[in-house]
Amino acid sequence: MGSVIEINPLTRVEGHGNVKVYLEGTRVERVELCLTESPRLFEALLVGKSFAEVPEIVCRICSLCSTIHKVTALLAVEKALGVEVSPVTGLTRELIVSGGLIQSHSLHLYCLILPDLLELGGVAELALEAPELLKRGLAVKRVGNLIQETVGGRLIHPVNIALGGLGRRVGRDALLGLRDELEAILPDCREAFRIFAAKPPLPQLPVPYCLALDPAAPPLSGELFRLTDGRSFPVQGYREAIAESVLAHSHAKHAQVLGEIPTVGALARLNLGAPLGETAAGIFDTVKDQIVGRDMRGNSVAQAVELCQAAERSLTLIDRLLELGSGAAGNVALAPRGGRGSAACEAPRGTLIHSYSFDRDGICTQADVITPTSLNQGAMSRDLLALARGMEGAQSTLLASALERLIRCYDPCISCSVHLVRL
Amino acid sequence: MTRPRLAIAGLTACSGCQLTLLNCEQELPEIARSFELVYFPMAQSGAPPEAVFDAALVEGAVSTPGDLATLFRLRHASRLLIAFGTCALFGGVAAMNNATARREDLMRTVYAEAQGGFDSFPPAPFRNFVSVDFSITGCPPEKTDLIALLAALKAGTLPPTPCYPVCTECRSRENLCLLLERNELCLGPIIQGGCNARCPATGIVCEGCRGPVREANVAQELELLLERGFGRKEIERRMSRFRPEWDYGQRH
Repeated sequence: MGSVIEINPLTRVEGHGNVKVYLEGTRVERVELCLTESPRLFEALLVGKSFAEVPEIVCRICSLCSTIHKVTALLAVEKALGVEVSPVTGLTRELIVSGGLIQSHSLHLYCLILPDLLELGGVAELALEAPELLKRGLAVKRVGNLIQETVGGRLIHPVNIALGGLGRRVGRDALLGLRDELEAILPDCREAFRIFAAKPPLPQLPVPYCLALDPAAPPLSGELFRLTDGRSFPVQGYREAIAESVLAHSHAKHAQVLGEIPTVGALARLNLGAPLGETAAGIFDTVKDQIVGRDMRGNSVAQAVELCQAAERSLTLIDRLLELGSGAAGNVALAPRGGRGSAACEAPRGTLIHSYSFDRDGICTQADVITPTSLNQGAMSRDLLALARGMEGAQSTLLASALERLIRCYDPCISCSVHLVRL
Repeated sequence: MTRPRLAIAGLTACSGCQLTLLNCEQELPEIARSFELVYFPMAQSGAPPEAVFDAALVEGAVSTPGDLATLFRLRHASRLLIAFGTCALFGGVAAMNNATARREDLMRTVYAEAQGGFDSFPPAPFRNFVSVDFSITGCPPEKTDLIALLAALKAGTLPPTPCYPVCTECRSRENLCLLLERNELCLGPIIQGGCNARCPATGIVCEGCRGPVREANVAQELELLLERGFGRKEIERRMSRFRPEWDYGQRH
């Protein structure tokens, strides 16, 4: 007889979703991943708005990723208007993106994954059962946020990073303050991989087909995507390479890239050779047998490698900004013109694409956003089915908790994923 | 001492209000000790299905039957319902086109024919459906407002709400007035303060994320902006970013 195991709501992930496992006796017939976040319709809301309003509105897609959404939108609008920003602006954007990665990865690792490793229910139990570890994790997260708030003027939905430049250049004292804070958390960033190297006790999963921006490109100006098998395609041609379809049971779309089911995020980036500084490269060397050519169970430790990289990179960026002295930010004025611009960035959770078209008055006529979680949705569904089949006959509570742990490996951001592109 | 039982949840939103709680890194351990975080799916597994609460902090607008069911459930299960953030209070960004576009058309733009499967209506604030005991404004809310609320809840009361515009704090910080001195479309005069004029302090206009201050002189702001050469359409578009319904004739 048929039965259904339902996990609703998914917990310790951003946004709303559920999973249904359809059984025929003990045999797993199918698994449905439903991202049930309410439709937000940003792509439709942006049509008719001025180019100047687009980045301020679209960052509201998701709070966890608001910085990278804003930066990607700025890059896409600037591309459409044919504008290039100053080196100070570029470095400042890179710094806030780096802070965003520290915040996002440390939130995921220390607040959402750590309870699984210690067999606790969540943040509340961590505070009681593992207060020191939580405190250290939160200290790292706090510095990521401090970077975002100092540079962005506001922690979530930053305002100081703007079209053509900066509201106000980040001052020397503020940068020196951030440097001290970063140095204080460096030891924990360097040691994080030891905590998260423990693989979740799940059976082996399919090896992902990785997608990321070309790791050789300069920061925040990637023009090419790279894939596991050596193939590549240009950012401007993403529409031709990425095919999406709407699923009846989910508010997010399913994506295929050049006919394959892609995986994006920390594990994908490290598999494709993301550049690392000396310390992060050393850590990567220690744990690479869990990452290179491996399945998503290695994504948390990959995030720990990136956490260290982001902390060290932030220090380098601060030094470079200090070297540039304290003159004006070199803002560029923007004038409306017709055109289309597409930009892609590596968000903490993976590849993010924004694309906008404007008429000659600078009014938005079309908006497209492809998020990491919508790119990952196909792989997540595939892995869920593989896992459920691999655990056929297991007790339903054990199966449910394993499926939830698998979903957490992907670090999904469901608010993001339901912002879908035009068909 | 009993620990107040909390629910923290979201409807149609970006999770930014819930994230604001997780962003209180220095206070979070103390919060976890002082309160029972009974229902907080974003950071906590294993909530009992029939739980009741002393306070439910809920973010987001109401835009689907599922949202409405969650809102009713939390209203019934909680002694206090807190509208947490601008979307819960005013509809927020999801509602910005409520007055200018039909929901079906917006759905079709994004989901094409497949939209038939999803049930959705124009995003609306909580008070259209249920009674609300307290609210925190902002997109995102200020951490300090959240901490003040939690401290008051712990003491068995609710905090006072400020009612002065963004300009009050902006002037006291001695920022350059972006509206009068740089001729930019700043909404500071009619927007609820309490953010310490964050955005104007970095040279960026107030976009109005905290909603209207009590007794906002909307008509005069409109006249001033028109006088300074902004178009009526542009002004209305900007003002409806976080709240679709304004009385443009309101004077105090």
